[in-house]
Amino acid sequence: MSASRRIAITGTGAVCGAGVGVDAIWDAVVNGRSAIKEISSWDASRWPTRLGAEVTGVDNRALVEDRKLHKLVTRTDLFGLYAAGAAIQRSGITGHRETLTAEALSRFNDRSGVFVGSGGGNYRSNYEFFPLLTAANGDFEKFGRELGENVNPMWLLRILPNNVVCHVGIRHNFKGTNGCIINQCVGGAMAVAEAAAAVRAGEADRAVAVGHDTPLEPETVLHYGHLNLMSPDGLRPFDRERRGTVFGEGAAAVLLETMADAQARQAVILGEFLGSGCATEATGILDVRPDGDGLRRAIEIALGEAGVSPDGIGVIVAHANGTPASDASEAQALRRLFGNHLPPVTGFKWAFGHLIAGSGALDLIMALCALRQGIVPGIPTLDSLDPEFGPFPASRAAQRPRSDTALVLCRGFGGMNVALVVRANAACAGESATSSRTGGLK
Amino acid sequence: MTPRRRVAITGIGLVTPVGNDAATTWASLLAGSSGIAPITCFDARGFPTRIGAEVKHFDADSILADRKLLKFASRSHRFALAAAEEAFRDAGIRPEPSTNRRWGLSLGAGMMGIEFSEVAAVHAFCARDGQFDPEGLLHGEFPADPVAFCRSQTNSGLALLTRHFGIQGYATAVHTACASGGQAVGTALKVLRRGLTDFVLAGGYDSMLNPLGVSAFCLLGALSTDNDTPERASRPFDVTRNGFVLGEGAGMLVLEDWNAARKRGARIYAELAGDGNSLSSYRITDSHPSGDGPIQAMQQALADAGLVPDGVDYVNAHGTSTVMNDRSECAALRAVMGGHIDRVSVSSTKSCMGHLIAAAGAVEAAVCALAIRDGIAPVSANLVQPDPECDVNIVCGESRGMNIRVALSNSLGFGGSNSSLVFRHPEDVSAT
Repeated sequence: MSASRRIAITGTGAVCGAGVGVDAIWDAVVNGRSAIKEISSWDASRWPTRLGAEVTGVDNRALVEDRKLHKLVTRTDLFGLYAAGAAIQRSGITGHRETLTAEALSRFNDRSGVFVGSGGGNYRSNYEFFPLLTAANGDFEKFGRELGENVNPMWLLRILPNNVVCHVGIRHNFKGTNGCIINQCVGGAMAVAEAAAAVRAGEADRAVAVGHDTPLEPETVLHYGHLNLMSPDGLRPFDRERRGTVFGEGAAAVLLETMADAQARQAVILGEFLGSGCATEATGILDVRPDGDGLRRAIEIALGEAGVSPDGIGVIVAHANGTPASDASEAQALRRLFGNHLPPVTGFKWAFGHLIAGSGALDLIMALCALRQGIVPGIPTLDSLDPEFGPFPASRAAQRPRSDTALVLCRGFGGMNVALVVRANAACAGESATSSRTGGLK
Repeated sequence: MTPRRRVAITGIGLVTPVGNDAATTWASLLAGSSGIAPITCFDARGFPTRIGAEVKHFDADSILADRKLLKFASRSHRFALAAAEEAFRDAGIRPEPSTNRRWGLSLGAGMMGIEFSEVAAVHAFCARDGQFDPEGLLHGEFPADPVAFCRSQTNSGLALLTRHFGIQGYATAVHTACASGGQAVGTALKVLRRGLTDFVLAGGYDSMLNPLGVSAFCLLGALSTDNDTPERASRPFDVTRNGFVLGEGAGMLVLEDWNAARKRGARIYAELAGDGNSLSSYRITDSHPSGDGPIQAMQQALADAGLVPDGVDYVNAHGTSTVMNDRSECAALRAVMGGHIDRVSVSSTKSCMGHLIAAAGAVEAAVCALAIRDGIAPVSANLVQPDPECDVNIVCGESRGMNIRVALSNSLGFGGSNSSLVFRHPEDVSAT
């Protein structure tokens, strides 16, 4: 029956401050190189933090070749389109599609889904109304009258939160079930979970799942700073001196399909998606429960769906955003669930910042890399583990995964918690050209 | 294998331009009363379009005695909170400490979180000459408002609803423009079938009736400019139609496991029987003239419900009152319904209440449930000269009393996302 369909991960793609492409980003992470540095897109010397992990020195055309499209979407969409395109390319389905008859192709397209976790609106888009506001000078009638002369007529279409869904569909002819999740930090993680659920339930035979966001802008950094969520001096997850998070930007995407299809077309199977869980703590916009109750429930649901016991988890990729409350409650939840049998715990935001809606999907891809390479990268900014956590296996030094299965955690505003369980495909573990790299493992 | 779970609609809450609760909205729609009038919530005198479908005389404080919560709620969040309160009351069930982890939330959330007053404040401090200079944000008098920041988050509606009502299970907020509300209800159906929850509050909310929202659609030339005849401005399927009318509001449904609802003696409006969901992948705003995209969504929804097109009695069309949408949607309906098309009654309730964007699909799902309950298809108002290219059986003149066993609702969005939902009369659901 369809509910038991297994889900293969056959493509990944990502861009963030740490690099363009999954291999480049993994190389930075495993070698302890952080992309967090002084923000360059505006003079942030007087901002609550001067730090960010920007995508710099990357030509938009290197991300998306089609220049016409650059005018129709915003920067975050370009990141999302790049990542989705890379994941689809990597999966090899494009070549496979060329072998299909017209009828089979039509069905193939109708059975290909698109799920995106989008950052939604940003402040920058609204600045396109500033010349009009200046021209109107407080006269609202004039504002309306001179609208057409001052604002790009395509303004709304450029800012649609679902632009990546739309343009991935058009560019890759994916025409099946779809969704665009605007759930702040957990959007990307939920996009992966929903894509997998759709394939598992037989609503689609394959789906690309994308998370993308660009939170690095002056107003957002300022507001987060006022709420004491930004670190002025770096992202140090689980450290006793941690002071907050640091933003990154970018996107990550995975191509999921039925294991049967992937095997039939002899695709390179990177891993298997096993399960997901989602729960809210109902704590309002900003608060989290100190005991991590929602996170614990999300993990329990995910493990149940995956059919994996806590002992079966080989590595935990924590949300590890570096804020005092989130890290502490995350450690609490993990301690309660795993007791003294916690597998190695790590987090990656020290390397490429917090991508907000993009973070969960990127962490999932990095988890897959870690399992496939047999390395749990250390956290170079972790100087002194918070003693409040008790024994807690997060460390500066790299570790080895306890099994081929990872638990990936993602948390966000609204008391949201999402957990994903993924297994690396051991059968193909040696296929990557970079598989022998052991840099960073001491 | 265990039989697939069935899902009952047991509660409805509406805040719309034609009524601030479900009963008033439904009565207005049946009477064909228009909620469209000159825009009053800002000075729209200079705009090409000066009419809209506003929610009127809405007082959140009288519905939700929680002033602290309301401080964090924008206008559209308040619609959502009020509609949810009505839906829970109507269903006679709500999250309790013993059940709140089995309650989920699936929302079609509005697109624009940042309020115009914030944009104007940033302009005043940072962009007097029209160009943004971030230094102004650091000015001592800049009114940086953390509460406004909280209101503007993409999932602040989700956060407020889960907190106020104590929903602690699965929670999602989706946005695919005009398909959002339909996709949110469809997602709720899937989440219930997956067994992740036993109850879901599902719906949508939106308000783009502000200077930026109205500007956005005016710039695209998508809105009717019939400023002198607002009540006639939205006329889906009429050959003289010239754009849609922007509305605002919220629609919320309480969905629950069918057997559990029966067991507790709940009044069931209808079964939420099928969901179809497709991507047109054609152009960002244009729909394919053949109806490709919506065709697959409707076919999927019917197949998902275990139905054939001949079973459909009533279709609540997306029916925006734009030439392109109406023609493409009718082509899709003809393709799906085949020879049965003349026996399907079709109407667009946007003719009365305008286009509620992210809320539209959820409100129209409620309309389908009410149509099944009362055996009456609401009128598609203002249809005087039918467009020959929209040759379907439209409910025109007045609402049509008829036996509705199956209803279908379409929501088709900018960006090409298409949602179809199928509803079945509760008497036709055999006990499982």
